[in-house]
Amino acid sequence: MNIRVVAYQTGIFVIQWGLMILGFGILTKIIAPLKLLQPTLPLVMYFDAGVKALIALAFSVTWLFIWDRQVRYYFFRRTR
Amino acid sequence: MGSLDWDTVAILVALGSFPISLALTRFFMYWNSAHGIVGIDVHKLSRPKVPEMCGAAVPITLIIFGEVYSLITNASWIPFAAYSLVVGLTALVGAVDDKLKMRGIFKPILTLFCGLPLLVLGFEFPGQVYDTTLRVPLFGGYHLPVIYPLTILVVISVTSNAVNMLDPLNGSMSGGISIVAGGLLVGGLLTGANSTTIFLYASLLFTLLGFFYHNRYPSRAFSGNVGQLSIGASLGALAILSRTEIASIVAMFPNIQNSFFFLSRIRRFTEHRELKARPTKLTSDGKLASSADPAAPLTLVRTLVAEGPKTEREIVSDIWGLFIASTTLAIITLLLTGIVL
Repeated sequence: MNIRVVAYQTGIFVIQWGLMILGFGILTKIIAPLKLLQPTLPLVMYFDAGVKALIALAFSVTWLFIWDRQVRYYFFRRTR
Repeated sequence: MGSLDWDTVAILVALGSFPISLALTRFFMYWNSAHGIVGIDVHKLSRPKVPEMCGAAVPITLIIFGEVYSLITNASWIPFAAYSLVVGLTALVGAVDDKLKMRGIFKPILTLFCGLPLLVLGFEFPGQVYDTTLRVPLFGGYHLPVIYPLTILVVISVTSNAVNMLDPLNGSMSGGISIVAGGLLVGGLLTGANSTTIFLYASLLFTLLGFFYHNRYPSRAFSGNVGQLSIGASLGALAILSRTEIASIVAMFPNIQNSFFFLSRIRRFTEHRELKARPTKLTSDGKLASSADPAAPLTLVRTLVAEGPKTEREIVSDIWGLFIASTTLAIITLLLTGIVL
């Protein structure tokens, strides 16, 4: 086993894991409890869920972007 | 069974799946070879022919043992029916793809529908298939009455295709997912999961080990899409049935990285065989090296050979090392799920 590459990749996994837990934490504690509209209006539940899903999607894209930069940094430094 | 607790019974029954999977894989090796269902091991200089679609042994064993356990223990048939249908349907999609060589876009679309049994049975029997409250480590959880059911279809498609995409080398998928199943089984035991969850993870582990015996380096049996898709779907279905969604994502980090970099470069769903720029190349001494083509996707294997050419065995060891790391994080995630800050 190539310890260096596995250790570097494990480091990336740990960072991504920490960010993921933090992201889910923000969704749980801040985003999910938000009341965006009066719950008496029709279809409000679906609008509310849709907006929150979009916020979660934005978090996921950011998370993947950070992952992407870390792997590319390693790969292009090693193959230069 | 009076003196045995239910977790022990679950593991003992699941142990039986090892010899069955071993024997079924062997049967498919001979039968498929005799019927010309073979693939070429392109990562060896001799390019040996290896029987394909032997991974069919895995969904068959999983379904048989799910039903056996349900009958023996009188456990509710609903989660087992949902699980078996998901695994069976994805295996069917994989088998059709193995025979017809469909275009890359069809697998993610068809596997979306394979999650329907979970969704439908979940609607019919609330609380027995899924729970719309997502449990988050350290932060409690939140209720997702609209999003959660819709996500189920995506989850099955993503997990099945992510596993399908990370099976380039002998034993990399079967060994890697065995590590994931074993880790989540340990996590389930540590966190007091119910015996159905323990059984399903244990049966996945032992079934995979039976297949792995023939699939390990040098491989004498290839999984084919039939095995890869059903194994991935099994993980996805288990994540939902056992409420281990976040831990399962963590355990599958190597699959996620591989799929993300493949898709971000290619920008479409396609088959490896349709790629013009291959991520790796075979050197004259039988090692795998990173492709010099800038258009080649940055797959996990290509990242692992960035420093220089490596043998297939070395790369597979590295992939397993990464699965051990991600599964350790998944176990920590499970342990943290019960804790709220």
